[in-house]
Amino acid sequence: MDNILSARALMGISLGFHIIYATIGIGLPLMLMIAEGLSLRTGDELYHQLARRWMRPAGVLFAIGAVSGTVLSFELGLLWPRFMAFSGPLIGLPFSMEGFAFFTEAIFLALYIYGEHRLSRRMLFLCTIPLAIAAAASAVLVISSNAWMNTPTGFRLVNGALVDVHPFRALANPAWAHEAVHGTLAAYAATGFAMAGVYAAALLRGHCSDYKKRALTLALAVASMSLPLMLISGDWAAMTVAVQQKPKLAAMEALFTTTSGAPLIIGGWPDPASGKVLYGIRIPKLLSFLAYRNPDALVEGLDAFPHGTIPDPRLVHPFFDLMVASFFIMLVAAVWFWWLRWRRREVPLDKWPLRALLFASPFGLIALESGWLVTEFGRQPWIAHGHMRVAEGMTQQTGIDLILFTFVSVYLALTTVLLKLLLQPASIGDRAETIQGDRHVDS
Amino acid sequence: MWTLENLAAGAVCLGLVMYTVFGGADFGGGIWTALASGPRAPEEREGLFNAIGPVWETNHIWLIFVVVTLFTAFPRGFAALFTALLVPLVIALIGINFRGAAFAFRHFGRQTGKHIPFMASIFAVASMLTPFALGMAVTATATGKIDFVNGWVQAEAWFWIGPFTLVGGLVGLAICAYLAPIYMTVRTEGELQNDFRRQGIIAGLVLGILTTVEIPVAMVDAPLFASRLLASKGAPFVAMAVLSGATAMVLLWRCRFLWAQIAAAATVTLTITGFASAMYPDLLIGQLSLAAAAAPAATLSAFFSVLVIGIIILVPSLLFLYWTFRGEPNPELPRLWRD
Repeated sequence: MDNILSARALMGISLGFHIIYATIGIGLPLMLMIAEGLSLRTGDELYHQLARRWMRPAGVLFAIGAVSGTVLSFELGLLWPRFMAFSGPLIGLPFSMEGFAFFTEAIFLALYIYGEHRLSRRMLFLCTIPLAIAAAASAVLVISSNAWMNTPTGFRLVNGALVDVHPFRALANPAWAHEAVHGTLAAYAATGFAMAGVYAAALLRGHCSDYKKRALTLALAVASMSLPLMLISGDWAAMTVAVQQKPKLAAMEALFTTTSGAPLIIGGWPDPASGKVLYGIRIPKLLSFLAYRNPDALVEGLDAFPHGTIPDPRLVHPFFDLMVASFFIMLVAAVWFWWLRWRRREVPLDKWPLRALLFASPFGLIALESGWLVTEFGRQPWIAHGHMRVAEGMTQQTGIDLILFTFVSVYLALTTVLLKLLLQPASIGDRAETIQGDRHVDS
Repeated sequence: MWTLENLAAGAVCLGLVMYTVFGGADFGGGIWTALASGPRAPEEREGLFNAIGPVWETNHIWLIFVVVTLFTAFPRGFAALFTALLVPLVIALIGINFRGAAFAFRHFGRQTGKHIPFMASIFAVASMLTPFALGMAVTATATGKIDFVNGWVQAEAWFWIGPFTLVGGLVGLAICAYLAPIYMTVRTEGELQNDFRRQGIIAGLVLGILTTVEIPVAMVDAPLFASRLLASKGAPFVAMAVLSGATAMVLLWRCRFLWAQIAAAATVTLTITGFASAMYPDLLIGQLSLAAAAAPAATLSAFFSVLVIGIIILVPSLLFLYWTFRGEPNPELPRLWRD
């Protein structure tokens, strides 16, 4: 494989891997905070046990998140040193802030996990508050640097040199707000659905208990509250992208030619050779309406931009549709569940609604990963839009394919062991007297 | 002297010291897990794992702090370092991956029993890989063998392997192996404490020999570094490190464990600070100065404002963490276990 493809693949795999763990690292602290808060407020021990039970997977997942995050910070330099030499003074700031947020998260997670016998229950709950805040803050901050790559601001280039550097303006770049809100909410939805799926599976197998019903309800409640917010923030994101990143919008929507009253194309395969979308469903004027709130608005297609500066719609449009489709899958499953829950005033144990939840459970993460792919592939061929191409940001070292191979092997090994551990029957077993995660003894 | 880039270099050095003094001990725990032998080896391993558990992730973040500070404050230096030192840094990363994951797996998978021996061995081996590779990478910046052409780094593929960096890697290992048992003496008692005391003394002697050997090796292999280290800038740190190391040994010998722990941490701090002072005012010795590698002033001042706010949040949290987990983790556990 050539160097640049290897480097992109390695960075992509590392990020895609990290995103799963980071997402749960953002979502789970909120769940812990809610569960511990409810337990304190209602005096119901079950909520506390719920939270403690989550600790065993949380510890493992958080540790892998920390380690894979370290890998990423190294890869920024190992793979993209020329990009970092250019952008470090600008995007270094959110990374530094994120570092502190992450530090805070690690500290309070350690206190929460290992502190059960040393801290009071109130103190344990109080530890979850900075934990949840720091987790959200690290997401919001790290997204700032991604947003900067889409809409680089806070500097001027004079003969290739940075002048007028304003790091805080770079931090608050135009794409930051919508990306941060949309991305952080997505982490809550994804974690909530993933957890709801675990309990739906357990209920389907007939392991019914108060504990599981309550865990399912709590996880799904957090996820379901995020869903309408996802829709609103997604719409905001699309409208902002329509103004700030026009080529990305055109690629997302597979719009080859500039059109007024542009249709929304759902599905289909964009074919750059013919400039047509094969097998897509067209809804007239909807894209113009969604992007500009005007059914006759002019939407610039990929042909409006110079050759060699546009992304490949074949990589962007399908992932965009996958993201939107995932949203609707989750919506249907959640609405079905809550409808029955409301009608019966009890957690429904029927097969099909639970199966629907189980089916929908990975789609939060799928949506999050595809949304990330949309924003990354949609920025191509730029690493910093309009200023530096991906190829210009790369390392001059050769043999990146070897490193790619090494890391893929490492990740496969880690994931295999992790799955083996998490899927062991003992970890799902319903032993009320022990919550294994909080014990700290190796025997 | 008190320029922004020097302060930022101080922050990098501080991060490196913190990572070594705290994270290094965790690596050392892994090393002694592998080396532990004798009748109390299982208890020694257990003690090491218990001590590392609550704090290793927090300690690990100092490394991220070093990397992030480097690319924020010294973007050109960061680019040069990570281009030239690609191979050792990749090796260190692999070690970090396995160590972190294997530790977490071992911890959380222990009640099933079957994964532990395999995991523990990966953990131990990985623990050796990382400090060795990082030790080589750090000392490679002092060799002066990284070439620049038109402002971009042109490294020979294997320039980072030489007598000076190989000893540097061993020093990295020895530092970790030195800190862990000495920290453990404070957390244990009786025979076990004596075992850790013995391990600490052995590792201390090894570290002393290695750092002594590194000086004549540097004269041949990294002459500029050696001359700066022995000149007025580095010499006081060298003298203090030697003094502090000797004090730590005496304190260990006389079983003053709390003070020995402080003296050992001071020895390592002085060793790294001595290295950094001999590097000053360069990031890559003789090739890239701190000033030339530094980010624009606006970035540096923004970085320091973040640093101050971060420290205000971090220090009380960290103190709370270490205060909560002072001494033996979960001393009340056996009693609760029976409940």
